[in-house]
Amino acid sequence: MKILVCMKQVPQKDAPLKLNESATWIREDVGYEVNEPDAYALEEALRQKEKNGGEVVVITAGPARAQQVLREALAKGADRAIHLEDDRFTTLDAFNVARAVAEAIKDESFDLIFTGLQSDDFGYAQTGVLLAQLLGWAHATIIMHLETKDGGIRVKRELESGFFQYVDMPVPSVLTIQSGINKLRYATLIGIKQAKNKPLRKVSFDEVSGALKPNQLAIEKLYIPQKTKKTEVIQGSPQEVAKKLVAKLRDELRVL
Amino acid sequence: MIFRTPLEGIEHPEMEADVVIVGGGPAGMACALRLSQLIDAHNAEHPDAPLSKENIYVLEKGREIGQHCLSGALLDPRSMNELLPDWKKEAPIEAEVESDSVYFLTKKSAFKAPITPPPMQDHGNYVISINRFTKWLGSKIEETGITIFSGFAGSELLFEDGRVAGVRTDDKGVDKTNQPKGNFEPGYDLKSKITILAEGSRGSLTKQLAGTLNLFKDRNPMTYGVGVKELWEVPAGRIKPGEVIYTMGYPLTTKEYGGAWIYGGKENTVSLGFVTGLDYPDPRTDPQHVLQSFKQHPFVAKLLDGGKMVRYGAKTMPYGGWWSMPPLGGNGWMIVGDSAGFLNSQRLKGIHLAIKSGMLAAETAFEAWMSGDSSAKQLGTFQKKVEDSWIREELYPVRNFHQGFEHGFLSGMLNTGLLMATGGYGIRDRYPAHAGHERMLPVWDLMGHPGGRSQLLGWSKGDGKLTFDKLTDLYHSGTRHEEDQPAHLIIKDTDICSNRCAKEYGNPCQFFCPANVYEMEDCPGEAGKKRIHLNPSNCVHCKTCDIMDPYQIITWVPPEGGGGPSYDGM
Amino acid sequence: MAETILVLVEQREGKLNRVSFETLAGAQALAKQAGWTVEAAVVGNNIASVAAEIAKTAVAKVYAIEDKALEQYTPDGFVAALKAFIEGRKPKLVLLPHTYQVRDFAPKLAASLGAVLVSDAVGYKYEGGKLLFTRQMFQGKFAADVSLAGEGPWFASFQTGAFRGDQVEGGEAAVEQVSAATGEIRTKPEAPFQEAKQAVDLSQATIIVSVGRGIKEQKNIEIAKALADALGGEIAASRPICDAGWLPMERQVGSSGQTVSPKLYLALGISGAIQHIVGMKGSRNIIAINKDSEAPIFEIADVAVVGNLFEIVPALTEEVKKVRV
Repeated sequence: MKILVCMKQVPQKDAPLKLNESATWIREDVGYEVNEPDAYALEEALRQKEKNGGEVVVITAGPARAQQVLREALAKGADRAIHLEDDRFTTLDAFNVARAVAEAIKDESFDLIFTGLQSDDFGYAQTGVLLAQLLGWAHATIIMHLETKDGGIRVKRELESGFFQYVDMPVPSVLTIQSGINKLRYATLIGIKQAKNKPLRKVSFDEVSGALKPNQLAIEKLYIPQKTKKTEVIQGSPQEVAKKLVAKLRDELRVL
Repeated sequence: MIFRTPLEGIEHPEMEADVVIVGGGPAGMACALRLSQLIDAHNAEHPDAPLSKENIYVLEKGREIGQHCLSGALLDPRSMNELLPDWKKEAPIEAEVESDSVYFLTKKSAFKAPITPPPMQDHGNYVISINRFTKWLGSKIEETGITIFSGFAGSELLFEDGRVAGVRTDDKGVDKTNQPKGNFEPGYDLKSKITILAEGSRGSLTKQLAGTLNLFKDRNPMTYGVGVKELWEVPAGRIKPGEVIYTMGYPLTTKEYGGAWIYGGKENTVSLGFVTGLDYPDPRTDPQHVLQSFKQHPFVAKLLDGGKMVRYGAKTMPYGGWWSMPPLGGNGWMIVGDSAGFLNSQRLKGIHLAIKSGMLAAETAFEAWMSGDSSAKQLGTFQKKVEDSWIREELYPVRNFHQGFEHGFLSGMLNTGLLMATGGYGIRDRYPAHAGHERMLPVWDLMGHPGGRSQLLGWSKGDGKLTFDKLTDLYHSGTRHEEDQPAHLIIKDTDICSNRCAKEYGNPCQFFCPANVYEMEDCPGEAGKKRIHLNPSNCVHCKTCDIMDPYQIITWVPPEGGGGPSYDGM
Repeated sequence: MAETILVLVEQREGKLNRVSFETLAGAQALAKQAGWTVEAAVVGNNIASVAAEIAKTAVAKVYAIEDKALEQYTPDGFVAALKAFIEGRKPKLVLLPHTYQVRDFAPKLAASLGAVLVSDAVGYKYEGGKLLFTRQMFQGKFAADVSLAGEGPWFASFQTGAFRGDQVEGGEAAVEQVSAATGEIRTKPEAPFQEAKQAVDLSQATIIVSVGRGIKEQKNIEIAKALADALGGEIAASRPICDAGWLPMERQVGSSGQTVSPKLYLALGISGAIQHIVGMKGSRNIIAINKDSEAPIFEIADVAVVGNLFEIVPALTEEVKKVRV
C-alpha cells in the first residue's frame, strides 16, 4: 500500500499568540509543533505499512520551519517526504492547499491519502475532502479504524452521540483520521539518524502556482473574542436558589 | 507514589559515538560548534583523511533547542567574538546595553547608587533572550552536520572499568506505575569515547558523577540561588531597550542573599526577575512570593502599571565560585558551563563563561580524539586550559565573593570591599562555604530571628494584574509533560516528609518550588497527619528542590524527554 | 429579484435532526436583514414527513429531494443530488448545520460547484451589504470574520448552538417533490450502531456538571453525578480530582485535559485556576456554585451562586427531576 499522509505544522498549544499588525493573522514568532490529528494519521499509516507492506510518504505545505514536521515523520518511519516550501503557502485557503497538493503528487500513484480530521489552528476540516474531490476519489471522514480487504478497504466512521458506522470503500480513497485512535510511537535515535538520509523533495510555489486559483475565502479580521459578560447573582435558601436556577435553565437557557 | 526508576530486564540498543554532549544550552552549543570548526579546519588540511561529524551527538531534553533556557540575560561578548566573529550580524539581540544603574530598595523608597560598581557596569554587553539566542546557536549546529537529539534526556551515565563510557537516554512510554506502555521505547546506550556534561545548574548526571567519584572531596560545596523571572510587555516609553537596572534590599532582609534585575528589551518588553539565594534561614521563604513582593515596590509597580505579564519561569544558578568547582575532566568525561559552576557571581554573568568553557572542552576533546586517548590525563588538560585562559583571570579574583555573604548582607558588603581591595584574597585565600540547605532553620529556631519578612513567606495570593499566585504564574511558563509517567522527583523516604519535616521545617518544599510541584495533603483517615502529594507535570526543571531540601532526600531525574517548560522569549 | 438562502435540513432514517431548526433560525434572521428569501431542502428517501415538518416554518418553499439510492447517506449520493439541484435553483447562499454528516459531504459539494464552504461558523455579520461569517480560530483563542469571494453560491455551516432552534418563525410553506439526480456511489455504508462508550468525549456533551476541590471527598461526587444524570449531562472535573483518582483522567477539563464548550457548564466547588478556565471558558453558559465569594470562577460565570453546594446541588437535582419528568 502506498500511503500519503498530509501533515501540518501549527503553533504550539499553549503558545502566547499575538495578532500581527494588520490583525489578519498571528505573529509568527512562536513555537510550532505538528498538528495533533495529523500525528495520529501518520501513526495509522505506519501501522498499515507494518501490516501490509508498502510505502509511507509525508507531505506538508508551509515555510522552511515546517520541515521539522517532515523530519519527525521520517524519524518515526515514513519513507519519503515532500515539502511544498514557501511562506506563501500559509496564505492559501483550503481549496488552494488541496490544489497545490494534488499538483505536487500528480506523477505519483497512491492507494490511500490520510489527513488529520482538522487542524488545530484553522479547524476547517476540509482539506482531505477537497483533495478527494479534486482527484476524483472516494473519501470518508473521522475514521476510527481501517482494515484492508479484497478490492478495497473497510473503515469505521465516527458519528455523533456515540454512534459509529462501517463503510466499504474502494481504493484509492482519501480518509480523514480521528485523533486518539491509536497510541503514537516515539521516534528513536536511530530513526532520527536515518531520517537525515531519506529523500526529501522540495517543491517551490512556482511549480504548483499554475494549478492554483484566486483564494475564495479571506480572513477580513482576526480578533480576541470579547465576551460581554454580566454575571447574574442568584441568592436565597438552597430551595429558592434551586427553583430560580431551574426556571433559568428551562425558560432562558432552554436546556430542560 | 511510584518514582521513575530504571526498568529491569530491558535491552537497551547501543549506538557508538565519538563525542556526546549532554545538554543543548550555551555551553553545549558552543562546544559542538567549536568542535565542528576544528574538524572543518582539520579536514581542509587533510582532505584525504577527513574526520566525520557523523558520530558526534548533542542530547537535549527539551523538545527543541532553547526551550528550557532561561536567564536575564546579559551577554558579555568576549567569548562569542572568539567563537563566531560575525555573530552580531546574525544573532538575535534584544539591545545593546545603554545604561546601567544599581538601586538599594527599602520598603517604600529606592536609593540609586551614585555610580554603578565596576563589576556591574555593563557597557559593551548585550541584553539577549537566552532562549532565542540558544535557538539560533542550534540552527548553526544544524548547518554543521552534527546531530542534535532533541526531546531526549541523558538519564544515566554508563561506567566501564572506572571510566565514563557514555550516556543512557531516557526510556519512553513508561506509565505512572513505572511499567512499559504499548509504545514503549527503551533508552539508547550511547557508547562514547568522550562525554561532556553541559546540563546547566545542578545537572543530574553531574550529580551522579560527583557522587560516584567523590568529586567534591576537596572542594567547597556548591551554593546556589534561584532566579524567578517574568517577561512583561509594558506601555511605550516606560523603559528603554538596553536599560539595565539591578536592585538590592527590599523585599529581602539582611538575613537573605539576593537581588533583582530589570532589563529593557525591544518592543517594550521588560525582563525582570528576582534571584533568591538558596541559603535563607526561614523555611517558609517562597522565591515566587519574593518576586511578587518586589513588583509591589513603587519603583517597580510604576514601571509595570498597565502592562501584561507574558511568560514566567525559574531556574537555579551556581554561586559557589572557583573553590566549589569540581575537577573538570577525568576518564572519558568533562564538565562545562553551569554544571561545573562557571559563573561570576559578582558580575552575575555566566553565559560568556559557559561558552568559553564549551570551546575549551571542544579543543580538549578534539586533541583527545586525534590522539585516541580520552583518559583522565588527556581530558585533565581541560582543567589546565581553563586555568591558562581568561576564565581564571575573571573567576579567581572573585573566588570568595559569595562566601563573604555567609553571615548576612552587611558583613557581605564589608567583605566585598575587602576582597576587591586585596585581589580576592581577603583575609585568607580560600573562604569556606556551607551548603545552602544547611542554613535553613527549624521552625523553633526562628523565634530569635528578626521579623518583618512576611513579604517573603508563604504563598502569594496575587491581585491578578500586577502580582500573581503561583498557579497563575505557572500557567504562563507553558509547562507540559506526558501525564502518564512516573514521578521524576525521587523522594528517598516519604515518611520523613510526614513525620519529621512537617514538624521540623514545616515542609518547605511547598514554598521553595516555584512550580507548585509539592503539596502536603491530609492523610485520609488519619486526622492531623499530612502526606506529600506531587504534581510532577508542573515541574519547570529548575532543580531548587534537589538543592534546598533540608534532608537532601530529593533527587531530580529527567522526566520523559520533550516535556518541561516552554521558555519562548525568556 | 431577492436572493435566496437555501437551508439544507438534515434527516436520519426519516427523522428530522433538530439542529436543523437552528440553521433555519439563522437563515431567517439573515434573510430579514438582507431582504432575502429562505427556502429549505431535505435529501433522502421517503422523507415526506420531514419535509412536512419543515413546511410549518416561515420559509418560501420546501423541497424534498428523493431517490431510493439516497436512503442511506453517502457523500457521492448526496453531492450528486444536491449539485444538480443547486445548479438548477441557483441560491445565493447555502446554509447547513455543522454535523458530522455535513463535514463529510459539504466541502465536496461546494467544490463540485467551484465554490467554497465556510465551515463551523458561530455567527454572521451583515453590514453595508457585505456578508461575513464569524469563526473560532486557534481553539477559541481568537475569532475571525471571514468573507467569501465571487458571486456564489456561497456555502456556510453553523456550529451547534450558534442560533436558537426555538426562535424559528412559524409559517406554512408548500412542499415540492424533486426527483434526485443520481450517479455512481462508490462507498457502501452499513447501518449505524451504537457502541458501549469506550471513551468519554466531553467535547460532544451539551451539558457538563464539573466538580473541583470543593467537593471535598470522593463519595460526595455522587451528589454531582445525580445532578448530571437528572440533566442528561456528563460529569467532569478539574485536575486535582482526577489526579486523586476520584474520576478518570478522560473526565478532566483544563489545559492538561479536555477543552470543552458545551451549552451549559456547571462548576461545582471549582475555584477557577487559570489552568481549568482555559479548558471551559468557551462554554455558552456557565453557572458556578462556590462558597468562596472571591473565587476567580465567578469572573467568567454567567450565573453566580455563593453558597454551600452540599445543600444547593441536591435541591437543584430535585427541582430538575420535577420538570424533566
